[in-house]
Amino acid sequence: MKLILSDRPLHFPVLTDDTRYFDLSALKIANCVGCFGCWTKTPGRCVIRDDATRIYPCIAASDTLLYVSRLCYGSYDVLMKTMLERAIPVQQAFIRIHCRETHHEQRAVVPKKATIIVYADTEIEEEERQIFRQLVIRNAYNMNFESFEILFTTESQVNSLAKEIVTQWERF
Amino acid sequence: MGKILILNGSPRAPKSNSKRYAEIFMRYSSGEVVYQNITRKNHQELCAALNGYTDLLLVFPLYADALPVGMLQFLKVLEANPPQRKPVISILINCGFLEYEQNKVAMQMMELFCRRNGYRLGARLMLGSGEAILDTPFRFIAVRSIRKLARSVAQGTCQTYCATMPLPKKIFQWAANRYWTNYGKRFGMTKKQMQTPDIES
Ligand SMILES: Cc1cc2nc3c(=O)[nH]c(=O)nc-3n(C[C@H](O)[C@H](O)[C@H](O)COP(=O)(O)O)c2cc1C
Repeated sequence: MKLILSDRPLHFPVLTDDTRYFDLSALKIANCVGCFGCWTKTPGRCVIRDDATRIYPCIAASDTLLYVSRLCYGSYDVLMKTMLERAIPVQQAFIRIHCRETHHEQRAVVPKKATIIVYADTEIEEEERQIFRQLVIRNAYNMNFESFEILFTTESQVNSLAKEIVTQWERF
Repeated sequence: MGKILILNGSPRAPKSNSKRYAEIFMRYSSGEVVYQNITRKNHQELCAALNGYTDLLLVFPLYADALPVGMLQFLKVLEANPPQRKPVISILINCGFLEYEQNKVAMQMMELFCRRNGYRLGARLMLGSGEAILDTPFRFIAVRSIRKLARSVAQGTCQTYCATMPLPKKIFQWAANRYWTNYGKRFGMTKKQMQTPDIES
């Protein structure tokens, strides 16, 4: 499965049957409350029964994904960050040693090729790019990215860049 | 004498490790210290309150390799509503994994925020094994590092500290897995059930 998660509406010509697209700005997703219920009480299920429960199974099942997010202090902005925090049901409580660090065991999470488009209104300074790159390197360990590409852009270019990525997916 | 406001940015602030860390900090601070949780609704109020303080200590956990989204929301409100007199910002981040280094990216995000918004950076502490350390024989290591943090805030020396349990990763893994197995047992879950590969099914 291929997955597109965006914090703003995107317009694609037609998506193939195995591509799922979610516009986070149109969905209802609450903040994670840190209860660890998804690890200890109802493993693999979040107690908050909102739209996030439709998305994290797709995150787990996808082998190719595109995240589109505004940048905020070197991080994903609120909408994308909220969803990523709500995706911890895809992990187990248990610890493994991975790349010489402690990380969580995963449930049925398919290894992924990730493309991440981050955008801002203005030119993104190098320090902020660097922080975001470091963030994605860390995400790769916890979110099972086997490879990733980060594209920095401006708000006005987001849609055309996203379209380009998805067109490439369809070509291969 | 400085006046310190501690803000707890944990999503589960009233029952958080961050709260316990803040309490230890208060024990080692001599000046006036006020503690508050960041909630969903009090961001504006906290920004206004900041005018009365020389120092702000932000205490929060690492979430998905970065700041918890509630912290991000608070910082955005703070950016839009800066106090007239900006306090020095000190930071205490704790993460669940053993390696305190995993907090570095979140610390850099805070540093970027401070630089952009004209806050002087104070003392910083990165804690690894933050979910567990206070209830182990290594508690003293966390307490010692928080005492140093408190001293650095009081003296305005802007030091950076880090601490974690001095355990080989394998032992940490074993202890953490025992901890989580017992945690699940309280809800009638076996280890096997907690290890289910199923997600939402
Ligand atoms: C949604 C979520 C995401 C988390 N992400 C991380 C992480 O990326 N790295 C890590 O070491 N710990 C992570 N943790 C663990 C917390 O940082 C750890 O349990 C911490 O002690 C919680 O502190 P608190 O009780 O003050 O909220 C995460 C916990 C939750 C609930």
